[in-house]
Amino acid sequence: MITSVAATIRERVQHIKTIPAIPAVFLPLLKMLSSSTEEVALDEVVRLVSYDGTIAAQCLRVAGSPLFGLAQTPKSIKGAVISLGLRRVETIVLTCCLGQAFPAGNWALDPAVFWRHSLGCAMVCRKFSEKLTAADGEKAYMGGLLHDIGFMVNCLVFPKEFATAIELARHDEIPLYEAEHATMGFTHCETGRALAEKWKLADDIVEVIAYHHTLEQSHEAPSLVALVHLSDLLCRMRALGYGYYERQKVDLISDPAWAILAKEHRDLEGVDLVRFTFELDEAVEQIHDLVSAVFGSKAAAS
Amino acid sequence: MTIVPRPVAVPFSPAKRETVDPVYRQIRDLVYKVSGIYKAEEKLYLLADGCARRMKQLSVRTPREYWDHLTANPNRDGELRHLLNEITIGETCLFRSQPQLDALRKVILPEIVAEKTKRIIKRLRIWSAGCSTGEEPYTLAMNMLEESNGLLKGWTVEILATDLNDRSVETAKVGIYGDYALRSTTEYFKRKYFSTVDEKKLQARPEVKKLITFSRLNLQDDSKMHFMKGMDLIFCCNVLIYFDGASKSKVINHFFSNLNLGGYFFLGSSESLMKLNDQFHLVHFPGAIGYWKPSSLQSGKL
Repeated sequence: MITSVAATIRERVQHIKTIPAIPAVFLPLLKMLSSSTEEVALDEVVRLVSYDGTIAAQCLRVAGSPLFGLAQTPKSIKGAVISLGLRRVETIVLTCCLGQAFPAGNWALDPAVFWRHSLGCAMVCRKFSEKLTAADGEKAYMGGLLHDIGFMVNCLVFPKEFATAIELARHDEIPLYEAEHATMGFTHCETGRALAEKWKLADDIVEVIAYHHTLEQSHEAPSLVALVHLSDLLCRMRALGYGYYERQKVDLISDPAWAILAKEHRDLEGVDLVRFTFELDEAVEQIHDLVSAVFGSKAAAS
Repeated sequence: MTIVPRPVAVPFSPAKRETVDPVYRQIRDLVYKVSGIYKAEEKLYLLADGCARRMKQLSVRTPREYWDHLTANPNRDGELRHLLNEITIGETCLFRSQPQLDALRKVILPEIVAEKTKRIIKRLRIWSAGCSTGEEPYTLAMNMLEESNGLLKGWTVEILATDLNDRSVETAKVGIYGDYALRSTTEYFKRKYFSTVDEKKLQARPEVKKLITFSRLNLQDDSKMHFMKGMDLIFCCNVLIYFDGASKSKVINHFFSNLNLGGYFFLGSSESLMKLNDQFHLVHFPGAIGYWKPSSLQSGKL
């Protein structure tokens, strides 16, 4: 039974025709990001990005957001790479591409809300990993940005079923994940995984998408999955959730994810979670601004 | 092939970096370290205003010079106290933190009620420690009354409101408030729970007052603190910020033992417990942070 659900999802995702043109630079860039840094050529990235004028312009605007650490908009992609580092620019490009892949539409889930959560989670993941030695901040950013991509698939492939799930979540003020289970019998984790596999995303990112609600299933990248899980919860508790009140008490330090992460990163214990939360609050407004810059005024207005 | 090094960690939101004297960030960090109060980036101007008022009093010309007053001057502790007064002034009002009240009514009360459902005596005890002129206990009382025909039907609610200052306690007992204190109170609550004194002032109705017992209490008086047992909820907002580390830690330990198992402790919304007690669990609710005394102490860290 379970396999047949998975097969249906895969089948439907394989045949998604409605995803509007993914910018051409998206998939090659994803492939590059999955490979080790040493193999990535700056010129190649700059060439790819500059190929698409819209994307390039958007990237510069995003790179100029204080959230990415620059006080001024860089003049060129190359300039952005020099100031921010190649890998951060890559993640910016991917952010912009995703915005184009899923532009504002008449969705069951408000796209502005979706992007604020995704971008917020990406930021929190990166910020979190900066506090931990030997954590890959840009990888964490990608994990955060993409973790809920299944909600987009739900909007495109299962719009009616998903609308029911959202209605239940809002009405009962429960997590969307639980409402999906109750109404659809599957969740954004499965639909997201199908898209991630279609896009041939790296294994660790696939695990983030598939297991961020069921950590125990992660074998390839448990600490990355745990990091995204915790950041996701924190965002939902700090005005970067899904736009409704979730009746939840979140004890991050007692969450199994905390122990998984602490096993790999001993310095996790030194993180001042309250101050971290206050710092996240400071970024909320900028995340709103960025979402309107990247994902269009339509998304921002809703 | 060019490899660009990973950029250094940046704050979530370095915006306005150029507009605020960096000394204020140092002062912010000092204030946080000493008091646990965090002035977010967008509220740094409030900190700067507070400093400016102190600088005027002291005839100090530059923020840098004021920094010396806070750190190197023999009277630095006294000066820090003055500054804390300046930056928390005017924060007191009814309904100061809606997310805290939401957490109370939507998450905590259902939890406590479910846990105590089999008890013969259904009693809820709340302590507003450092209640100042009564804004907090009246807010709590009105919110509990709102639940009196729902969740708390058949329950007895007792609110203890204490403050060190006699005059504050006397003012609190009278329960008369003007526009400023009522700026966050909705018309619904004003009409339902207040009577008009004159054009500009409202007084809490007897049925609200009935729930509250006001008294003078010094939180540093150990013998009295031992008697404050059996609390389900303790609120202590912007009070501990004035205590030194050792006294703060002692008071917090008292609070922990004064709470029932499964009880909650709340600070002000921009205040942190820092690492002064490792028995409390830090918990997040949507928009609010609380500290939880686990229902069974063995189940401590899950």
